[in-house]
Amino acid sequence: MSCRKAEKLIQRSLDGRLDRRGRDRLASHLAVCPACRKVEAEYRSMLRLLKDGPAAEPLPRFWERLEPRLREETELVPLLFWERWSLKAIPVFLALVILLGGFLFFAPRTRELSQSAVLLMENRDPLSETQALFETDRPETRTMMLLFASREETSPARRPMP
Amino acid sequence: MEEKQLVRLAQGGSPAAFEELVAKYQPKVFSMALSFTRNREAADDLAQEIFLKAYLALPRFHGKSEFGTWLYRISMNHVKDFLRKKGRAKEVSLDDVGEAAFSDREQAERAEMERETEARRTLVQRLVQSLPEKYRVIVTLRDIQGLAYEDISRILRLSPGTVDSRLHRARRMLRLKLEPYLVGEGGAHELPQG
Repeated sequence: MSCRKAEKLIQRSLDGRLDRRGRDRLASHLAVCPACRKVEAEYRSMLRLLKDGPAAEPLPRFWERLEPRLREETELVPLLFWERWSLKAIPVFLALVILLGGFLFFAPRTRELSQSAVLLMENRDPLSETQALFETDRPETRTMMLLFASREETSPARRPMP
Repeated sequence: MEEKQLVRLAQGGSPAAFEELVAKYQPKVFSMALSFTRNREAADDLAQEIFLKAYLALPRFHGKSEFGTWLYRISMNHVKDFLRKKGRAKEVSLDDVGEAAFSDREQAERAEMERETEARRTLVQRLVQSLPEKYRVIVTLRDIQGLAYEDISRILRLSPGTVDSRLHRARRMLRLKLEPYLVGEGGAHELPQG
């Protein structure tokens, strides 16, 4: 058996995890290998020192100190829950706003548009168009005005006095 | 009352049930924290935080593992976080760890031997702290805390084979560091003199 293999068996032996056959093999090796005997002694000493590590009593009134903290944390839990989710909700909210904005901007318009709005959408000058409309109306308006004026001249009594 | 029942009651919001669980596991949790911090106050603080964490995480405990294993896992993660934040175990004072007072002159020799043993023990623990984290954790759980291989495997979520090989490497590293101080300690197979 190699010394490396023996070292593994030494550790298992000190852990109490070595079967009878393994123990016999290890014992045979240790009987003829002083280096491995030294290693075994070192492991034994090291594990003893580790096991006898610092032992100290816990500080007193552990539960009495813990309980108010538990109560405080439990009261904070709903708030913490909200804080955690509100942080996650911000990007979700922003995404929703962008989506809604995009929908409103690009969605087809179904309502009836006014004449000036139609002109605006057609990218024409609404003022000049309106002026043109008035211009087309003007001869008729003039004719009507003349007609009313002539009728008023024939019946002066109905004309209001200044 | 059975542990599972206590856990269920604690999950339902019973402080008395959780108090019983704390009373049962506090020594183990404290002892584990002390193994890593080597400072009584720091270990106590850690134990408080661990139980606080466990209490808040109770609704997420579904009983797939033992409560003790689950609590140990929380403890390990918390201790690891603490050590990382602390910049690798600066809590190395053993001043507050109880030491027997040897005032009697007749006991002076015994006291001297005890001090030597304590010095060696301190050295071993300092060297444990100097190991890489994964080795330090496994040595602490097995050789300081004395946990079974199966429990370590469950707590660290490692296969038994990995636990075995990692522990072997950790102990080997530690022995090589300690070699100058351990020579002459003797052992079961030490050759008889002469």
